[in-house]
Amino acid sequence: MRVGLFVTCLVDAMRPRIGFAAIELLEAADCEVIVPDRQTCCGQPGYNSGDRKSAQALALKFLDEFESFDYVVLPSGSCAGMIRVHYPDLFKDDPALLARFIALGSRTFELTDFLHNVAKLKKIPGNFKGKLTYHDSCSGLRELDVYQQPRALLACMPEVSLQEMGESTACCGFGGTFSVKYGELSTRMADNKCRHITDSHAGTVTGGDLGCLLNIEGRLRRNGDHTTRVLHIAQILADKEA
Amino acid sequence: MQNNSADFKRQVTIKLADVRLQEALSHLQTRFVEGRSAVIGEIHDLQKTRNAAAEIRDRVLNDLEHWLLYFEQQATKRGAIVHWAETGADVNRIVAEIAVGHGVRSAVKSKSMVSEECGLNEALERAGVEVMETDLGEYILQIAHEAPSHIVAPVVHKNKEEISDLFAKTHRLPRKTGIAELCREAREILRPAFLNADMGISGANFLIAETGSTLIVTNEGNGRLVTTLPRVHVAITGIEKVVPTLEDASTLLRLLPRSATGQSITNYVSVLTGTKDKNDHEGPEHFHIILLDNGRSRLLGGEMQDMLRCIRCGACMNHCPVYQNIGGHAYGWVYPGPMGSILTPLLGGMENAPDLPNASTLCGACAVVCPVKIPLPDLLRKLREKQMQLGMKSRQETLLLRAWAWLALHPGIYGMTTGIAVRLMRLLGGEKKLLHSLPGARGWSGGRDFPAPQGMTFRELYRQGKRL
Amino acid sequence: MNARDKILGRIARTACAESGEEIAAYLAQHPRGPLPPPPENLLAHFAERALKLSSDILETSERAEVPAMLARYLQQNSLPMRGVCWPSLTNLPWRQAGLDMQPRPANGHDLVGVTGTFCAIAETGTLLLLGGEQTPATTSLLPETHVAIVDPTRIVATMEDAWDLLRREFKQPPRSVNFISGPSRTADIEQTVTLGAHGPYRVLLILAPA
Repeated sequence: MRVGLFVTCLVDAMRPRIGFAAIELLEAADCEVIVPDRQTCCGQPGYNSGDRKSAQALALKFLDEFESFDYVVLPSGSCAGMIRVHYPDLFKDDPALLARFIALGSRTFELTDFLHNVAKLKKIPGNFKGKLTYHDSCSGLRELDVYQQPRALLACMPEVSLQEMGESTACCGFGGTFSVKYGELSTRMADNKCRHITDSHAGTVTGGDLGCLLNIEGRLRRNGDHTTRVLHIAQILADKEA
Repeated sequence: MQNNSADFKRQVTIKLADVRLQEALSHLQTRFVEGRSAVIGEIHDLQKTRNAAAEIRDRVLNDLEHWLLYFEQQATKRGAIVHWAETGADVNRIVAEIAVGHGVRSAVKSKSMVSEECGLNEALERAGVEVMETDLGEYILQIAHEAPSHIVAPVVHKNKEEISDLFAKTHRLPRKTGIAELCREAREILRPAFLNADMGISGANFLIAETGSTLIVTNEGNGRLVTTLPRVHVAITGIEKVVPTLEDASTLLRLLPRSATGQSITNYVSVLTGTKDKNDHEGPEHFHIILLDNGRSRLLGGEMQDMLRCIRCGACMNHCPVYQNIGGHAYGWVYPGPMGSILTPLLGGMENAPDLPNASTLCGACAVVCPVKIPLPDLLRKLREKQMQLGMKSRQETLLLRAWAWLALHPGIYGMTTGIAVRLMRLLGGEKKLLHSLPGARGWSGGRDFPAPQGMTFRELYRQGKRL
Repeated sequence: MNARDKILGRIARTACAESGEEIAAYLAQHPRGPLPPPPENLLAHFAERALKLSSDILETSERAEVPAMLARYLQQNSLPMRGVCWPSLTNLPWRQAGLDMQPRPANGHDLVGVTGTFCAIAETGTLLLLGGEQTPATTSLLPETHVAIVDPTRIVATMEDAWDLLRREFKQPPRSVNFISGPSRTADIEQTVTLGAHGPYRVLLILAPA
């Protein structure tokens, strides 16, 4: 199957490694991976800030670049949710486009959701050893029902021991522009999350959305924790020496 | 009640630093979040029941005129007098007129958020009527001269010690420290008020069109007392509260207390219809029902109509990570949390609550627990769109959003710009690969470092055939 | 134009109206929503739920035994042997059991109130009481102890069954219809549940056939 990979703007700029890890994982699941060269941002920052027009323009760009693939995969629950759930909302008044966006949405998956439920990946290439804890990012969890998929994949890694943190499904306080506009509040929410991560004694926290992970890492480091590792789930699943 | 929502940001700072409030808010988690999750599973098919509940509310909202008229007709048939109020001030005027008309000197009141919208107590005091709140939480707030911070647990922001001090000072009785003792003291203070009041004022959780009844859920019994003992009963509620039948009310009742307080049912559910019969020993001789609009009708037929499904359970705020950290007062008006962040700008004016639609991560926890399936995050986002249309966003934000969108639509320039930015940030990140301050994004860097990028963008590396 | 016309005028512009007949048909059908599965044993389910609500339960097969049973309960709990009862319950042998139960509405000083029950709802362990001349609502509300005599044959499964029973036996609901689910309570202080707020501190159910 031909899979279009959208690495997301955050991964593109901040952590290219996650994009390559996603490619490795998709290839391990026998997918032909295509990375459209002109991809940028899914439009979520504008959409969530009330700028519907710019979100529509970027949605059309996305449609143009990704409509031809059997599947579209993103290493992010919030961007995948944008495409599956919110793109159709942006075109609810245009029946022809709406139908195309719904069709595109039905073929679009968050990475772990795709690996577990569509590609049925059993042999995980990564060889992470040790304890880790998983943060459930909001959009993936509540818009796409991504909860058990990453855990199922981690369960296929014999050396991984998942230590669930308390309130793993509570928001970390990132929320895109929220984290800048309401910095104090966002920091307090991140603090609550960091406390649960520390209390899990896992030493490594992972999750499916880079935005949340940067938020968590930023707060951990500011608090003087320079040892807890913060890694995207794609890295855990793909890396040979993580 | 005065709307102070515009002060939200300053209030957040204050509330986050309020140690006592933070301690008090922790009770919310145990009682309400865990409480709900312990009993919500009792509902045989929760999703089906939520769907049915949303349908019941939509049925009425889609044809509110006819359901309201039907309710009015039935209620009138049984001897109630139905009043219509455009604004909170109109409610106050109507209640004052009723009070004067019946020679009312004192009134007892059970909890009503709609009356908080109106600022009814102050208005009645001005009209020479002594009003006593009788819900324990509301009573505490009344003697402390404070506003509720939660629609179900109005005094969640106060701890026992504060209440002990307050009671000792107000009642001039020896200071009690046990919660049960405090409750008994309030009971004994309020009992004569119930027995002597001329007028009882209540809200209504639902208006049953079929029978012309008001339905009230309470735990303390004060709702029953204020609607049974005084000779005049005034029920105040919003025009959106109609449900067609007793069966429909039952479906909603399976969800309301479980969502609100984690109870399978509240202690009392009272269905009140008309005035007392001539042989009855008790019950009001006069029953007035006041239906308040206050901006609600404007929401009908528009993209915000779903908000009117709300049955005021408070589950959205109990589960909201923002509310959990700041409590209700920061929101500045009657309704806090996600439902309040939508209702406050809609009923009180967008310009008076610029922060509320934005002060959410759109995490969706509220939508998952909403018993009537209000798409709260979507509605918050729609309000942000409205702000954009109204030109309420700052120039800086609008400019940044436009610039980002423009860049993202021009992949070549986007690539160059991001390429330069990540190199610069990598450089600034230094050995520890952390940026300690972000000019223009101090909201972030005030409390967090920013992990530096790896140094080249994914697209560059991929194009060059490199793999990390 | 008055407020009523203004409000209704605004609403009318937005409605995708059902016709009068549709509304009448819906009301006539009063369709039920999703219901809990019927319990295997109504009485057992009711009792289990009622206990969860912190109600006490006693059971007898003879209604005439109720006063003696109540007298023992009051004694055991150091409660007064007098109070008020619904006028409809005057014919029970209260005096023989050593109880002084006055058949009148309760006032603020009565400590024990004895009522009957229109029906009981197994789903939540709830009592349904109707107010009326012979069945004053204050009896179950003002005293610190509320004693409700429940006919086990009038336990229904759901709230909807209770409404049907009400419709069968009454042309229209009486002024006050009250669900009572255990002693009054509050959790307003520190979210700690405390029994006995403005209503009874304890509720005793005596299951006794009519």
